[in-house]
Amino acid sequence: MAPYTNIPLSPAELSYLHTSLSQQPPLRPDGRSPTQFRPLIAETDILPSANGSARICFADGTEAIVGVKAEVEKSRLAHTVPSNGEAAGQGVLGLGKGSARDVGDEMDVEGDESGGKGRDAWLEVAIEIPGMRDDDALPVFLSAMLTEALLADGGLKDRLWINSRFHWRLYIDILLHSQALSYPLPLLSLTTHLALLSTRLPALVSEKDEDPLFNDDWEASTYLYPPTTTTQHQKPPVTLLVMSVGATILFDPSKQELAVADSVLAISAAQSSTGELRMVALRTIDPPSRLTAAGVPNVLNTTTGATGAQTLSAADVLAMREKDQGQSVWRPPRGGVPRALVAKMIKMVVERGGVGEEVMEGLANVET
Amino acid sequence: MPLDSSIYTLSALRLDGRRWNELRRINGQISTQQAADGSSYFEMGNTKIVCTVNGPQEQKRGGGRDQSNEAKVEVEIGIAGFSGVDRKRRMRNDKRIQEMQYTISSAFQNTLFTHLYPHSTIAINLHVLSQDGSLLAACLNACTLALIDAGIPMSDYIAACTTGSMASYADKEDEADPLLDLNGLEEQELPFLTVGTSGGEDKVSVLIMETRVQMARLEAMISVGLDGCKQIRSILDGIVRAHGKKVLESKVS
Repeated sequence: MAPYTNIPLSPAELSYLHTSLSQQPPLRPDGRSPTQFRPLIAETDILPSANGSARICFADGTEAIVGVKAEVEKSRLAHTVPSNGEAAGQGVLGLGKGSARDVGDEMDVEGDESGGKGRDAWLEVAIEIPGMRDDDALPVFLSAMLTEALLADGGLKDRLWINSRFHWRLYIDILLHSQALSYPLPLLSLTTHLALLSTRLPALVSEKDEDPLFNDDWEASTYLYPPTTTTQHQKPPVTLLVMSVGATILFDPSKQELAVADSVLAISAAQSSTGELRMVALRTIDPPSRLTAAGVPNVLNTTTGATGAQTLSAADVLAMREKDQGQSVWRPPRGGVPRALVAKMIKMVVERGGVGEEVMEGLANVET
Repeated sequence: MPLDSSIYTLSALRLDGRRWNELRRINGQISTQQAADGSSYFEMGNTKIVCTVNGPQEQKRGGGRDQSNEAKVEVEIGIAGFSGVDRKRRMRNDKRIQEMQYTISSAFQNTLFTHLYPHSTIAINLHVLSQDGSLLAACLNACTLALIDAGIPMSDYIAACTTGSMASYADKEDEADPLLDLNGLEEQELPFLTVGTSGGEDKVSVLIMETRVQMARLEAMISVGLDGCKQIRSILDGIVRAHGKKVLESKVS
């Protein structure tokens, strides 16, 4: 994944940013706290012809629109249905309550041995970025990351099962409306989450394994992720971008902050039926700070009158820079990130009352 | 059949309850995206289009290209997979899309004051979020709004709409009402054309017809279309003025 390289900051500015972000508490350029997100605009159910849709605009002007469409498809192989699953699926049929949806929830509560009826191929994610072809690196990488997070806990594909001969095929089309000014993964993930929350599927009126027949009334349709108020319900995953500078951990990094990051992680978290958040995927991202140019130390800088550049050999210059270790001037970060820090980042996302829960609650409260 | 003629002659109402000369609900906003130079969102009934304009800017792949003394208008249309009833992923080099792109770019090439920006490119990006008829007309209207938001001078708005003809065979002359602003179902069944005007009531700048109709019907269709374009032009003007007023009020209060 080629990191974003268009960073118009000088080594002095980079060093200044790095130092102010390493403070405890960190001083962010826009004055936010480490876990505070920038304001965003979100709306759902904007497309009348899609099963679910959402649009989110971030504060830096990037915008994404996601539409979810579902089609009934014949299942390729008749996969065996466990006996307890079949019995459980004979609940209330049709007319207002989707029986197939309830099967999915019960499956997950019973545990993993009765789940797994879904297939990965039933979900298709397509990303369109204007100005890029479909086989460019960025769209392919982003769609792979999003698909991986959505399929990781198995809950989504199990909800697409109708009977042993038919299933729903879910198409998620993501349109990144503006140019990729900053790393677009969290924007696309939040918009997909919101669109999936608003997705509705027609209510099933047929029984067992016969050809599926649905209720024509759209008001009777059921949500893919039903919002039950009594028990905690499962929600689609959300991917957040987390960066570290020294020992500081920052959420929702702006472009400037990413330019001095020591490490950047994309953490996907999903909410299980018990209400707990679990991490379902983690990817490291090459921070753009590695591509910045290092500053020139005073000793070697001819403009300060030092003669080091002429008198020292190349090996000596290198040794001097290494000894400096980025203390006096900016040096692009090297090496990895300590394990304890990664563990702390994950904990901050999935703990009770943590950032992940805050984001999901915020999205759940978006009115249509 | 959606347009069973007998129902129409009894009530003179179309399937969605409109009469022959009524437009659908039209809604538009400009400056919807801060990241682009100009942007707009336009709805004609259930046809929803988002448009962004970037320019005038230097050509990225300048090199040894023969540069004329005018700006070039480049249009790209992306039809989203979720826009129709069935999910269908459309490839960029679809002939129909290419023809629409060319129509829009040549229409604006003649309307914009391109001589003011030599050696530069104005890039227009259209995204179709939902289609229900009048696709080309809605695209042209959305482009007009976005270009105005980008501040590119032009001689006048390009306002476009579609018209169709009720009957398609000879012996139903008395039922051959021209219809204004067809929706998706009507476009599949009836012959229709897209007409766009600019710079006055009867100055046609775009006229596209992909279906076949008898010559005798054409005049009535075009005159109904011109009247529809006049209404759309005043709607577009209203949208621009409302936005301008909002901007002024926020600065001068």
